[in-house]
Amino acid sequence: MTPRPTLGSFAESRGVTPRPNVTLTPGPSPAGRERGAGVRASLAMFDSDLCVKCNICTAACPVAAVTDRFPGPKAVGPQMARFLHPRSPSIDPSVAWCSGCGVCSRVCPHGVPVAEMNIISKAAIRTGWRQRLRDWGLARPAVVARWSRPLRPFVNAALRSGFLRTAADRTIGLARGGPLPQVAAESLRHRRADLARQQPAQPGGAARPRVAFFHGCSTDGYEPWLGETTIRVLERLGVEVEIPPQGCCGLPLQSNRNFAAARRYARENLVGLHPWAERGIPIVGTSTSCTLALKHEYRAVLGLVGPEVETVSESTYDFFEYLDQVLADQIGALDLRPLALRLLYHPPCQLRSHRIGTPALRILRRIPGLEIVVTDAECCGVAGTYGLKSELYDVAVNVGADLFAQARRTSPDLILTDSETCRWWIEHHTQVPSRHPVEILAASLGLEDLRPAAGLG
Amino acid sequence: MSPTLLIVGQGLTGLFSAVLAARRGATVRLIAEGRGGLSLSHGCVDIWRNGDIRFARRSLGRGHPLSELPREVRAEALSEFLQLAQEARLPYVAAPDRVLRLPTALGSVHVTAAAPYSLAAGSLDDPTPFHLGRIGGLRDFSADLATSAFRARGVNVAGTIDLPVPARARDLYAHDLARLLEDPGYRESLYRDWTPHMKGVTRLGLPAILGGDHSLEVFTAMEQRLGVSLFEIPTLPPSLPGLRLERALRRLAVASGVEVIEGPSVRGEVDGRSAGRRVSGVVATTAGGPRVFRSQAVLLATGGALHGGWMSFANGEVQDSVFGLPLEAPEDREDWTAPSLFESQPFSRFGLRLDSRRRPCDRRGRPYFENLYAAGGILGGADRSTEGCRQGIDLASAYAAVEAALA
Repeated sequence: MTPRPTLGSFAESRGVTPRPNVTLTPGPSPAGRERGAGVRASLAMFDSDLCVKCNICTAACPVAAVTDRFPGPKAVGPQMARFLHPRSPSIDPSVAWCSGCGVCSRVCPHGVPVAEMNIISKAAIRTGWRQRLRDWGLARPAVVARWSRPLRPFVNAALRSGFLRTAADRTIGLARGGPLPQVAAESLRHRRADLARQQPAQPGGAARPRVAFFHGCSTDGYEPWLGETTIRVLERLGVEVEIPPQGCCGLPLQSNRNFAAARRYARENLVGLHPWAERGIPIVGTSTSCTLALKHEYRAVLGLVGPEVETVSESTYDFFEYLDQVLADQIGALDLRPLALRLLYHPPCQLRSHRIGTPALRILRRIPGLEIVVTDAECCGVAGTYGLKSELYDVAVNVGADLFAQARRTSPDLILTDSETCRWWIEHHTQVPSRHPVEILAASLGLEDLRPAAGLG
Repeated sequence: MSPTLLIVGQGLTGLFSAVLAARRGATVRLIAEGRGGLSLSHGCVDIWRNGDIRFARRSLGRGHPLSELPREVRAEALSEFLQLAQEARLPYVAAPDRVLRLPTALGSVHVTAAAPYSLAAGSLDDPTPFHLGRIGGLRDFSADLATSAFRARGVNVAGTIDLPVPARARDLYAHDLARLLEDPGYRESLYRDWTPHMKGVTRLGLPAILGGDHSLEVFTAMEQRLGVSLFEIPTLPPSLPGLRLERALRRLAVASGVEVIEGPSVRGEVDGRSAGRRVSGVVATTAGGPRVFRSQAVLLATGGALHGGWMSFANGEVQDSVFGLPLEAPEDREDWTAPSLFESQPFSRFGLRLDSRRRPCDRRGRPYFENLYAAGGILGGADRSTEGCRQGIDLASAYAAVEAALA
């Protein structure tokens, strides 16, 4: 008897490896054996038939708008997919210009995962060893922070040294103008070791709201104060915060074409976070790219399937989304101090890919005295690690040009944006201090003063 | 506490309603799965095929969305729209006493009620003969095709001229050229290359490429430097006049305090405490879990057959795609379509029926929900394509729905 065809067997018959399954038992992952097999590992290409070639994504793409070397998301994505044999991905190399900002998928009225297809296609591109060296480091911010902490003064000085940055630009293609953060003296996990748990604590008597804080590697290794601020705000709102076992979300690895390692990272995070998600405890993060990875990239780009991925995805909240959706009553009852500030708020492309709108604005608009202008730029340009690469740097700066011009025109006291790489990039290019919106909320709650401008390398 | 309004869909209807409602003091959320059809359109306001609603009213049957909207509402909606466009530095030309007859890229005549200034400048009622520009590297417009078709219908085209643009690494879209033309340096190089071709040209028609968000500046500067009267003709999508309008309305909406939630598909949520009489908002399929967005009133601006506003099922049922409200449709699917593609299609008349307060209602005029409103392409009773009344319905019904929802 012939077995009943399934989507998986259909994929096999077309030479497509079905999505690797997540197992929470240790051992070699099925994905670990493939390298650069992104296209074959995904079924996204089958969705390309939904594309009616209306070009709404092409017109919205911030990269195609500034360089004619990128033909646009439709041309390299769903249009190209119609000519691809699944077994031999003949990738148009111009897909390398895609920054992965996700605008195309979000504006598509037909549900085509344009960005996801292009991110997967990018994984099959081969680069030279110098770039691979650079990408190895850019893809592992947590490892870099951990290793360089003992030599912190030297590393931070090197990051700031014009001479060394020029040398890095010339040798390995690390863009000299791309802002890099400074390694913090102590990690967040070290500073708030009191909140670290291996398993969720047994609930006590009082039924207080609880969250599992996903700090991300940037907050842990480079900006621990941001994590402390967030924890203080949550505690002020009566929330019990726990820090579950976790590492880097793996998004930098995914963006730098190492899907196998990204899946390993993802799997470790799923093992760490699932006990909380399973008990219905929200996983909350302030980095919109990390939370997007948990919500979406693990499923839609890395192709992980299984109940753990689904549960963690559905339990993950952006910090302000959590306040808005879950703590509305507590927020409504807050006594918020007026802050006389002119702010320019840029919703990062990664936040917009959550498809939840702009929850930070919903909360900040409750603070008296704030004057908030919202940018109309689709993306600031840096798109994670894209703008930090010499060969892509000019394109990234041009993508951000409208946003930088808007900052000059409106001359705000501060620029607000939820994602750390955007914040560093925008501050560097506008010279306007840039903050995470939670810092404004903390100031309005009287928990702390706004910190002075950060020193970026 | 200001009233809250949640609008589903961000085509012309959704964006226009969002700006209107926010400026009337409501807290507005605009939620949409992707961007609407506005950026694919010609950017004009078609009210009726001959552009004149007074003339048309005689032929409007009962149940046509325009016949149910009082004349003052239609006039007020158009006037608010024109003011908004002016505010966005995208002035429109509307002649109250006559229609605009504009050239199309296929050499036919588009009759409309209001058009962006740069399109209106191409009015075929202006007897000045015009040349058409052949832009090198732009696939989406053929000056020769348009010219031969115009001549066949007796329109006086003086000729075509070659207008070179610097070579690029790939085929250019109209919006690529528009962005390049916003750079004064790039324009300078074009003046140098184009001026020798301007001998004997007094009026020049170009595909719509003259600037994106700053089209007024680009248009004025180029007219001045080239020393000819210019006009634009909309091209294949993405079409600049539609794109400019969409971007301008979205900017106005955001600046007016509207929160745009882009990307999720939504299903309607009924308020369980109201015994099914009220809706409470929508449930959105986000990147993570489903999220509920609540609102005092919901406005459906989801569009018609081609825009996802309704769905049909194998059992022959037709429903609106958010709340699943039933739409009337012939039982035999043979009767849904006309024998020819170019005839009026019966399915294009499928849609919601409204009560006097702009709420979807059943055949006997009873509203399904007390606080659910609808406007634009989801309204039944009109074939907006063949009747040429698309934007007329969008603007007037959006205006009426906002007034009713905030009353």
